[in-house]
Amino acid sequence: MRKVLVLNPTDNIAICLADMDAGTVIDQDNLKLTITQKIPRGHKVASKAVKKGEGIIKYGERMGHATKDISVGEHVHTHNVLGDRLSTEVSQ
Amino acid sequence: MSLTGYKRSDGRWGFRNHVLILPLHQILSAAARDIEEQSNGAVAVSHDWSQMVEKDHERLIHSLAGNATNPNLYATILLRLGTPIEDEVITRAKSYGKTKLVEISLSDFKSLDKLTQAGVTEANKLLTEANNEQRVAAPFSAIVLGLECGGSDAYSGITANPALGVASDKLVAQGATSILGETMEILGAEHLLAKRAITKEVGQQIIDVVARYEASINYEGIDIRGAQPSRGNIEGGLSTLEEKSLGAAKKAGNAQFTGVLEYAIAPTKAGLYFMDTPGHDIEQLTGFGAAGVNITVFTTGRGTPTGSAVMPTIKVATNTEMATAIPDIIDLNSGTIADGTQTLEENGEEIYNLILDVANGQLTKAELGGHHEFNLSRLYGSSDKLISYARSIHRT
Repeated sequence: MRKVLVLNPTDNIAICLADMDAGTVIDQDNLKLTITQKIPRGHKVASKAVKKGEGIIKYGERMGHATKDISVGEHVHTHNVLGDRLSTEVSQ
Repeated sequence: MSLTGYKRSDGRWGFRNHVLILPLHQILSAAARDIEEQSNGAVAVSHDWSQMVEKDHERLIHSLAGNATNPNLYATILLRLGTPIEDEVITRAKSYGKTKLVEISLSDFKSLDKLTQAGVTEANKLLTEANNEQRVAAPFSAIVLGLECGGSDAYSGITANPALGVASDKLVAQGATSILGETMEILGAEHLLAKRAITKEVGQQIIDVVARYEASINYEGIDIRGAQPSRGNIEGGLSTLEEKSLGAAKKAGNAQFTGVLEYAIAPTKAGLYFMDTPGHDIEQLTGFGAAGVNITVFTTGRGTPTGSAVMPTIKVATNTEMATAIPDIIDLNSGTIADGTQTLEENGEEIYNLILDVANGQLTKAELGGHHEFNLSRLYGSSDKLISYARSIHRT
């Protein structure tokens, strides 16, 4: 049973299919990583390192950008991502 | 699977044969609900419109006239005061379709009780007539499908939405019409949809309606981050509006876009369309109802009971946990795709079959629950000035 879902090979995130605890090891479909913090089901985990300002890629498409450096295994959400449009650069 | 429906004299098809009670002023809304309750099966909507119009004059006339003549209706009883703007709605309705229209005016009865009694008598008479109508074999072109999502979560874009896309593609290939709405929820994905347009012009229209929307937001100086993605969306795992949009657009499958529709305006030929609607679920459903949509599929991640008086509304869950928790709201579960127990194609086929079953008369959970939500959409910028403003600031 898969723990995460990779939607497109060019994505830098994967979708968690269950609530994840820190330390959970993912080893599937050529993807190996260790979850570094608690991540709820349905939320995103970084499958590749992303530098501040770089795009977050889901479905092979850009869905916004990183507001700080994100390392592999980290929770990717509103605390470190902002949309490119209709958003202002104020971190929440 | 074969399809049956009610063939209307104007050439359109219905999959329900309702008698609708439509108040044309908010003070008649309670009477409309009373008539529904006391009649043998009429359906009613209520709203808060007091016949005031400004720049949204056309939008309101289309919305009311279109819903009054939705092909799922055998007849509509219009409750009115006797004002000229009501005449405008009724004249427009007659130009849209041949749905039987009966007017009951407060100016004739002088009392809401007497108006209600007259409404019940008229409704029961029309219901008897409606019950004598027979379903006949219908072509697939009879289907005008509405694609809707509400209460999205991170599973929406990987389970229910793409599965609905599979069903929509299959129906469009068989000659049906399918309409995607919610302009706000394709913002960030419009370039992908524009690439699938049948002509360059249609592609540009898709880009333009989104630019117009984006400009209206910037123009008003609103920060919509608090609303889009919504708090529920964010709890569900969606981080940005673009992320939500990329997933929402998957409801429209991979078919070519035949055209772009203004809010509440009916398509003139079969195919896949984009309609410029608000992101608000009920306002969108009202626009679909006005455009002659006769069946809607509504995907939901958080679970929402919303339904319509004029269109059967099928609820598809994006995740098994929610589908299991509220079975009285959910018609079909697409969470199986994330669970790994069903493929996208298998689940899409299930949605397709359910659309046909519901078209053939099977009641949806929203119908069983008596959900008749209805909202008139107002104050939505649509001027030409805004389009040129949009073009001047739009990033390509």
